[in-house]
Amino acid sequence: MDALAASFPGSEVSQDESLAREFEQRLADCPKLAYRVALGVLHNPTEAEDVAQEAMLRAYHNFYRLRDRERFRGWLVRVAFRLALDRIRAKGRRQRHEHDAMRATLNAQREASVENLVAAREFERQVAQALDALPEKLRIVMVLAAIEGYNTREVAQLAGLPEGTVKSRLFLARKKLAESLQCRVKNTPAG
Amino acid sequence: MSCEKYSGWLTDAALGELRAEREPELLAHASECDSCREALSHAREVGEFVDRGVEALVAGEPSPHFATNLRRRIAQETESLQSPWMAWAPIIAAALAITAVLAIMVAHSHVRSLPNPSLAPAGAPISALHEAATASPTSPQLARRTEGKHAPEPSTQARPRTTALPEIIVPKGQLSAAAQLSAAINSGRVDGNQLLAAQQEYQKPLEVQPVEIAPLEIPALDDATEKPANSIRF
Repeated sequence: MDALAASFPGSEVSQDESLAREFEQRLADCPKLAYRVALGVLHNPTEAEDVAQEAMLRAYHNFYRLRDRERFRGWLVRVAFRLALDRIRAKGRRQRHEHDAMRATLNAQREASVENLVAAREFERQVAQALDALPEKLRIVMVLAAIEGYNTREVAQLAGLPEGTVKSRLFLARKKLAESLQCRVKNTPAG
Repeated sequence: MSCEKYSGWLTDAALGELRAEREPELLAHASECDSCREALSHAREVGEFVDRGVEALVAGEPSPHFATNLRRRIAQETESLQSPWMAWAPIIAAALAITAVLAIMVAHSHVRSLPNPSLAPAGAPISALHEAATASPTSPQLARRTEGKHAPEPSTQARPRTTALPEIIVPKGQLSAAAQLSAAINSGRVDGNQLLAAQQEYQKPLEVQPVEIAPLEIPALDDATEKPANSIRF
């Protein structure tokens, strides 16, 4: 057993050098996906990191049946989403919109006045509220579509859904969000 | 009227989901209608904000220590799994704690269950009281026992039996009265023998005198005059 496998002691991964190498690859490119899915639900970087860690830990324990990369990523997305929802339910509707400190604002690239910053944060809070109000099946496709601009096919692969279903759900989610935010947009800074 | 028709298309158009044949119609109307043109522009702006807003919500990177922390968590879990007794440690600790609590409870209940005259149930045998009452007033054992018993201390009540002194079991709340009686007997103010005799007198069974009942005398009847008219003969 080489050093790579030894870095994952215990269970099947440490017994199999190739398995350890594959998990090392997943560890290099998948945590960001899990983290962003959790962030889309929790809106809190610390909690999102916790959830992503937990999801990756579970993936490690089940890695013997998740060797296929796409299967692994889909499984990870769904577990991270579910864990994040569980965490929200455990804590209740709460103070999760109040952190905001390190999150990028909508106008991060431009020079923001205090008014703009306040307005952007307020709008971000409203988007988060509207997103939280979506049904889970709409929310996950909306979050996945927002991550690195995944297209419908990629979202379908990650969510484990037919592409047509994803397309209709995505449209419905955006429409609901738009309707929910329509009355608020005029008071926020324009892009 | 036509504005109402197109208002339902605006959001779909802004999100790029309006049916292809409807889009030219909507655009043609918007070019002539200021309010619909403004509404369409607003809907497009909202659509952009939706996408950008959600993208902003999911923008972020895990910390640089993510992989290190994950490896540490895996190692910790594996360690606990590799040493079986460590996995059982919480259970063993819980079992020890429960055992300790049970031992304390048993010890406590044992102390409570030791002889305690003052806690004797009502109706407990009081024959031993007779023994105390009939004992010689000069008996050193009884004198020692009754000495200073007018106000018995709780600690002495719970003391286990260590001598051959007769136990006096009295109903609850009557310990003080029994102690006073014992002291009175010891001092000679009350004659124990007399008390016992009186008690024995009360315990004598009642003598019931048999009642003598004289047999009934039935006079002989005259067949002709006393026989009922409707009697049946067999």
